[in-house]
Amino acid sequence: MSPVNGARRVAALVASLVVAGSLLGACGGGTPDAANTLDVMAGSEIKDLEPLLPDLEAATGVHLNMTYIGTLEGAEKIAGGAAADAAWFSHGKYLSLLPGAGSRIVTSQRIMLSPVVLGVRKSVADRLGWSNNPNVTWKDVQAKAADGSFTFAMTNPAASNSGLTALIGVASALSGSSDALDAGKIDTAALRAFFKGQALTAGSSGWLADAYVRAQGTVDGIINYESVLLSLNAGGKLAEPLVLVYPNEGIVTADYPMMLLNAAKRDAWTKVADWLRTPDVQKRLMATTSRRPAVPGVALDARFPSQTLIELPYPARLETIDALITAYLDEARKPASAVFVLDLSASMDGDRITSLKDALSALTGTDTSLTGRFSRFRAREDVTIITFSSTVLDERDFTIDDTNPDGSDMTAIRDYVGSLTTHQTTGIYSALDRAYATVADKQAADPSRLYSIVLMTDGLNNDGISPEDFAAAYGARSDAVRRVAVFPILFGEADSKAMQAIADLTGGRLFDAKSNALGDIFKQIRGYQ
Amino acid sequence: MAVNPRRIAAILLGLVLVLGVGIGIVSSVRDSLAPAPVTVSGYIGSEKAAFFADARVVAALKRGGFIVKVRTAGSREIATKDFTGIDFAFPAGAPAAEKIRREHPGTQSVVPFYTPMAIATWAPIVDLLTAAGVVSQTNGGYLALDVEAFMALVAKDTRWRDLPANTTYPVNKSVLITSTDVRTSNSAAMYLAILSYVANGRNVVETDPDGAKVLQAIAPLFLRQGYVESSSAGPFDDYLVQGMGKAPMVMIYEAQYLAQAAKGDGSITPQMRLVYPAPTILSKHTLVSLTPHGAELGSFLANDPELRSLALEYGFRTSDTAGFKAFLAAHSLSAPDTLIDVIDPPTYERLEAMIIALEQIYATGPAASPSPTP
Repeated sequence: MSPVNGARRVAALVASLVVAGSLLGACGGGTPDAANTLDVMAGSEIKDLEPLLPDLEAATGVHLNMTYIGTLEGAEKIAGGAAADAAWFSHGKYLSLLPGAGSRIVTSQRIMLSPVVLGVRKSVADRLGWSNNPNVTWKDVQAKAADGSFTFAMTNPAASNSGLTALIGVASALSGSSDALDAGKIDTAALRAFFKGQALTAGSSGWLADAYVRAQGTVDGIINYESVLLSLNAGGKLAEPLVLVYPNEGIVTADYPMMLLNAAKRDAWTKVADWLRTPDVQKRLMATTSRRPAVPGVALDARFPSQTLIELPYPARLETIDALITAYLDEARKPASAVFVLDLSASMDGDRITSLKDALSALTGTDTSLTGRFSRFRAREDVTIITFSSTVLDERDFTIDDTNPDGSDMTAIRDYVGSLTTHQTTGIYSALDRAYATVADKQAADPSRLYSIVLMTDGLNNDGISPEDFAAAYGARSDAVRRVAVFPILFGEADSKAMQAIADLTGGRLFDAKSNALGDIFKQIRGYQ
Repeated sequence: MAVNPRRIAAILLGLVLVLGVGIGIVSSVRDSLAPAPVTVSGYIGSEKAAFFADARVVAALKRGGFIVKVRTAGSREIATKDFTGIDFAFPAGAPAAEKIRREHPGTQSVVPFYTPMAIATWAPIVDLLTAAGVVSQTNGGYLALDVEAFMALVAKDTRWRDLPANTTYPVNKSVLITSTDVRTSNSAAMYLAILSYVANGRNVVETDPDGAKVLQAIAPLFLRQGYVESSSAGPFDDYLVQGMGKAPMVMIYEAQYLAQAAKGDGSITPQMRLVYPAPTILSKHTLVSLTPHGAELGSFLANDPELRSLALEYGFRTSDTAGFKAFLAAHSLSAPDTLIDVIDPPTYERLEAMIIALEQIYATGPAASPSPTP
């Protein structure tokens, strides 16, 4: 016995020395420990976990270095071999199906759950008989959307996971089979009827929620993560609460997998994933983010309905998802009318106008990257380009009937953009006012489109009408015209406060092309058109 | 072709005993000399991750002189891993182990534990399928799903709501069993083995032409599920967390269910049921040792009484049948001592040929569906 005990004592001593050594190492350095830092590429929808990260670090010793990025952009980067230790989006399924990306996922743990469901303004839900009614179907929603008695907000499925998830669920339900979709089963006519009700779009789920708050008087409902809808109800910004509808055919649930990409960081990843899945953290996630626990044994709190949620299958093939997104963009959605207001003042000379031309030309189907394919101009789209310097220089309309990049429609845009040259001073607000006049005419002629205005300028207003004059003219326009938002792009010496003010006034969103490539910004904005 | 499970158990027990005596001596010598524990690294199926993470298992392994570092992966994935610096591979199925042994001549294997394939489901589903003549109570005192009758339902494109007198689960989804991804995971491969046996007129598929012939009947049972998880923890998590709406029937290892129930944390609810497919198949957790340290670990796992009883707590069956019964009794669980209708999997080559054929169908999609390009 004694040799054994002796040996154990030695082993214990060695073990304690090792521990002491590693503690010294940890205290002495003070520099960030690479083994305990995870570079995480994360979806913007995960930003609400930021308050949790200090506690995560304290408990696990692992620092998460978060970089937020759009889902598709993130997928493209991962497939392209971008360095990241882990990826954390609302879904991992698209990523895992994507060639070059799926093979990079070493392992994965789901962290929390949130189904994508429909929130309906209380008075509208009462009117339609959808309050406390577990039998509402996506087909019912489609019928009311098609006959004009129900409108909703939903993100662009090509830009945002909540929109894609909703589209997969709706398409699966409307196909009549509730089976996993394949490309041949997409019922485009049924989808077109459904999306007649889409009154608001966006490139991100969080921004869509903000836009809904702004438009709550005129839009009847919003399709989003259950967690976003519950947060809206708790946020105190809604005149009427949203009634959450879990359509009877089923829904698709986001499961927020944390995916390990760098096998060398497995230990750190394991600590983080395990901690996030402990019952206490799961309860905290539920309380603070309104998402459902992803581990067994943690009971749902009273905010979540106890009904059985039928889960619709997710397609097994990337081609099916791509065909579905394409069907949505080219055939099912309300066609877009995109107005681009472009600054051609003298300061745009040189590299700036070149990058502008490249960015716009890339939208004509010549950019074959993943993000390029899904941000290009679509069938039935109406594209207006207004150029200005001191005054409006020109206004051109293009309609996309032929989506072939080498066809006459796309070529016409490319040729026109290629011919742009710079002029003198900068009259931003006169040009914007002109854009609204154009939108007003177009909307009167065709109210069934989704309109948007993009403003690209690199300088300060020094000609034409003042911001106040513009605001007054904007304020005097009809409700429908005022609901058309401006998406200003910050470029060159543009004044961020003035640009933000334009976004705020019109319900748009500011995009920063000072710290991002103009081409990437144009692609992101496409999600909002 | 059904193999008597008692005979399997007897053979296993014999093997374990023979190995056991030798290793018992080695490990007691090792214990008394008590050198610093060796670090042993291996790939395991995700279904064993919790076992290897258990502090008691870690301590028992350390007592045996091992610090075990595991990485989880699907079993077919394990079979194709680069084993540089790896001491052992521990997939859940014999075919994957067979492939690794073939590609690494001179390696040894041991089966420390095994578990039958089972279906995690729900009381209302059992009632519906009983009324439809698909599920029945067997003489052995357990619920069995007649795989042939089930496949006939699927072949007719039956929806849950089409089942007679269905007021409890009137759902438009197809009657299907959720499995893992047959391209990556052993539990789905075991499901494939069962389906192919039934579709082949209750014969193990022994030729590739037979495999090709039965594939048409089998493919829809996988493809119509849509996206599937790559390892067995995923669908069982869905079953436990998201419930009947997501997972009316899930192909699992019996061990997953028993272990969860033994935790007594309330996650196995009174509505949950465990049903055995008829025929079923045993998933033999086979440790393939790639280095001498790996071989020592394999023997220790199979023979150390404490580790064997810990394995029981994870729901695995070992050569210790009395211990398994005692474990069930201690947690008020019931599981059949003996499953009546147990088959063998096809050889690695036959199974692999069928998986590759399914992979091909996944890659190209169902034949007649034009896919517009974005």
